[in-house]
Amino acid sequence: MNENLLHRIRGRLLKALHFVTLFIAMAIICVPGLWVVLNSFRPTVEIMAKPPVWVPGELNLDNYRAMFGAVGEGGVPVLQYFTNSLIISVTSTLIAILVGMAGGYAFARYRFKGKASIFIGLMLTRAVPGVSLSLPLFIVMAKTGLIDTHIGLILVYVALNVPFTIWLIDGFFRQVPVELAEAAEIDGCTRWQAFWKVEFPVARAGVASAGIFAFLTSWNEYALASQLTRSTFSKTMPVGLRDFTSEFTINWGGMCALAVLMIIPALILTFLVQKHLIAGLTFGGVKG
Amino acid sequence: MSRFRPPPWLVLLLPAIIILTAVVMIPLLLSLYSSFTPYRLTRPETLYKWIGTFNYEKAMKSAHFWAAFGRTILLLTIALNLEMLMGLGLALLVNKVTYGQRALRTVMMFPMMFSPILVGFQFKFIFNDNVGLVNNALQSLGLSNVAIPWLVDGQLAFTAILVAEMWSSTSVFAILILAGLFAVPRDPIEAAKVDGCTPWQSFRHITLPYIMPFIYIALAIRSLDVARAYDIVQIMTNGGPARRTELLWTLIGRTGYVDAKMGYANAMGYISIFLAIFFTIYFFRKLNAARSELGMAG
Amino acid sequence: MAQVHLQKVVKKYGSLQVVHGIDLEIADNEFVVLVGPSGCGKSTTLRMIAGLEAISGGEIKIGERLVNDLPPRHRNISMVFQNYALYPHMTVRENLGFSLKIAKRPQQEIDKAVDEAAQILSLTEYMDRKPGALSGGQRQRVAMGRAIVRHPEVFLFDEPLSNLDAKLRTQMRTEIKKLHQKVKSTIVYVTHDQVEAMTLADRIVIMRDGYIEQVGTPLDVFETPANTFVATFIGSPPMNLLHGRVTGNEIAIDGGPAIGVPEPFTGKVQEGQKVILGFRADNLMPYGHAMPMESGCAEFDMTVNLSEPLGTETLLFGSLAGKEVQAKMLNPRPVADGERLQFRLDLARCHLFDADSQQALR
Repeated sequence: MNENLLHRIRGRLLKALHFVTLFIAMAIICVPGLWVVLNSFRPTVEIMAKPPVWVPGELNLDNYRAMFGAVGEGGVPVLQYFTNSLIISVTSTLIAILVGMAGGYAFARYRFKGKASIFIGLMLTRAVPGVSLSLPLFIVMAKTGLIDTHIGLILVYVALNVPFTIWLIDGFFRQVPVELAEAAEIDGCTRWQAFWKVEFPVARAGVASAGIFAFLTSWNEYALASQLTRSTFSKTMPVGLRDFTSEFTINWGGMCALAVLMIIPALILTFLVQKHLIAGLTFGGVKG
Repeated sequence: MSRFRPPPWLVLLLPAIIILTAVVMIPLLLSLYSSFTPYRLTRPETLYKWIGTFNYEKAMKSAHFWAAFGRTILLLTIALNLEMLMGLGLALLVNKVTYGQRALRTVMMFPMMFSPILVGFQFKFIFNDNVGLVNNALQSLGLSNVAIPWLVDGQLAFTAILVAEMWSSTSVFAILILAGLFAVPRDPIEAAKVDGCTPWQSFRHITLPYIMPFIYIALAIRSLDVARAYDIVQIMTNGGPARRTELLWTLIGRTGYVDAKMGYANAMGYISIFLAIFFTIYFFRKLNAARSELGMAG
Repeated sequence: MAQVHLQKVVKKYGSLQVVHGIDLEIADNEFVVLVGPSGCGKSTTLRMIAGLEAISGGEIKIGERLVNDLPPRHRNISMVFQNYALYPHMTVRENLGFSLKIAKRPQQEIDKAVDEAAQILSLTEYMDRKPGALSGGQRQRVAMGRAIVRHPEVFLFDEPLSNLDAKLRTQMRTEIKKLHQKVKSTIVYVTHDQVEAMTLADRIVIMRDGYIEQVGTPLDVFETPANTFVATFIGSPPMNLLHGRVTGNEIAIDGGPAIGVPEPFTGKVQEGQKVILGFRADNLMPYGHAMPMESGCAEFDMTVNLSEPLGTETLLFGSLAGKEVQAKMLNPRPVADGERLQFRLDLARCHLFDADSQQALR
């Protein structure tokens, strides 16, 4: 009897400990983000107050109003940046998906010599640190006149995303049984039709999640964009964040508002894709 | 007379190869070449002057370079290890939850959506000595009555950067390890319990070998992406104060763009590339070893 | 060595109750098989004995010890899992010795126990292979070996043969039986296969929907099924069941012939009572191809719709009173589909169930 009681009590204690630890961990994850969101609704005076104001006295949309105003606060053309980001991210994602789908399909369905080395070679291009790449790219882009254009950055982001897209899509196509396409071909499809009518629909969710992952990378990229864009015409939002800083001061309120604007699309897309993303990463890797 | 027809796999891979050649390989070759010249952005004619390995020798002799190199390795080692351990812990915590796990998983992915530059600003804000969350909290709780100069003191700034880096990347580990935990078959764990294992022993002898491949995938993915830390550091301290948080990447950026010494910067860039490639290949090999251990190879 | 004692054991998942307070006494050295269709709670019951599922109510004792809240490692049990549950990263030798190593036994003792188990299960050739390099039957043997090295008080088997092909299954069944004779300990064995249950068990526990329907020796449950469920579940082909009503000393099959009340039941049925008449194919045979019947028999004609020759006998599918009925033909001759034959039903071997409660009349 005693023995059983002991184990029961220990079980309960562990459960409580588990709950508390989990709560603290989740709090650490959430607090920094929530703090940014909160501050985007607070007047600068209150953010800067000493001693700190813990319970916000007033919440308003001033920062957002300033951001979207004709001349944004401090003259930051947020809307233009948002448009730039959107154009560049969406276009580069679409191209990366097409290129990645072709490549991923090749890896998933064909056997050829040097497959493993080609795969690793493609992956390693991703390992090149952004700064290191940005130096020569800067020179090349300057020579070809692609610097400070949408096209230049789009090309760069396609190259940045292709390796990872291939990895993910390879994993997803591998989960589609070969027999499916074979059955379709026996039913009278060409290889091309078999792909679009049978294999693609089955792997569609995976392809979509690879796309969203690529989108997020482009949307959030800073190291390359900061060097390859110069003017409002092509600057993306991550680069635009710097406009809120001047030599000695930072407009925290305005920056927080822009941060929220950046996070919201990312947030929505990540929620949509989370399940497939995990599956894709692990299938690609483990079932190698 | 049959015309040469490339195999289908080559046709399919061609777009990827072309774009990666154009955007990555050609610039890298250019940077390799320029690393043997004294190229400066302001004086284009310097691109055609060959100086051999001068830039590399200069880097090898530079105390700044070695300080940045050592600091980069230190940051990577500490950050990757801590992220891995905390990610593992977090994954285990979430894995035990039966009710509301989906919601927790979503929350767990929260930091992954943040652009690294945003993480940089966010933590620059949080660690601000005057209005930051950390100092405000410490002072309001009476734990400290002075403003701790988080981003000014070298040691503290390194810690602050580490915290920011860990906040942004621990979830990558947690998510992937959690996926690994889902993939662990239930039977061997139960068999271990019946075989007399304590929870710790079942974890050590059964669960851990199963999730090792996932840990290495996470490490490989992270090392592919490790230069994300550049954005964070660049914003939080930009290598300062007085180079005390200088990493390889910030040093390269400064040398190339601020000092305009492209040749020299490219030489250091190459060293950073090899560093990243080394880490990646190392973890990929570990991954394969862990996989064959479980009989999953091939 | 130990007996296992279950008292009013309940399992609930939230508001869903899957085991409804079952009582079961398992004697020392007894081989008990829990059998039933999937979802009947047999595996859950086994896992509660193992400590892999917490019990929601009642008591479980192993030996004299109450183990309700004890983790599996304190219960001194071994278990063989359906999917073998071998540790893929360990060799066969390491798999076998794992539990002893965890218990920090001296290496010498571990080696001895492992070698002994390997001998019993003829695994000595494969000791340094990993499970991935073994066939299904070999994996199964490793799983069993892992269970016996510890000399536990109770062995638990959770559908251990269901992943093997038919031939191997028969072979392993014999090995398990031999193993029980060799190691002499209490075994609780779960299966959905009634043949396995019949051949292995000292006693069979038939479960349905979280209740125990009947407990008894294999012959008990075959010859005196407690209700219609047990009657159809045990034995192959399943027992024929025909609804009818008692009139005088006959049972009028609904829409079919009247059959005299079988002798064992005379006086135990009331006029007008709705009953179910049960009989096995073995006891319904065509005239001239039957075994001699001890006492009374009923005779009627039936059209054969389909016949399945099995060699020594032929299984006949006919229809009686609109229901499909299976019969057996000994010393078979070819039977054409649609042929009408005269059949004899051995009344002494008929079963009678109450139509409302589905319980056997005794």
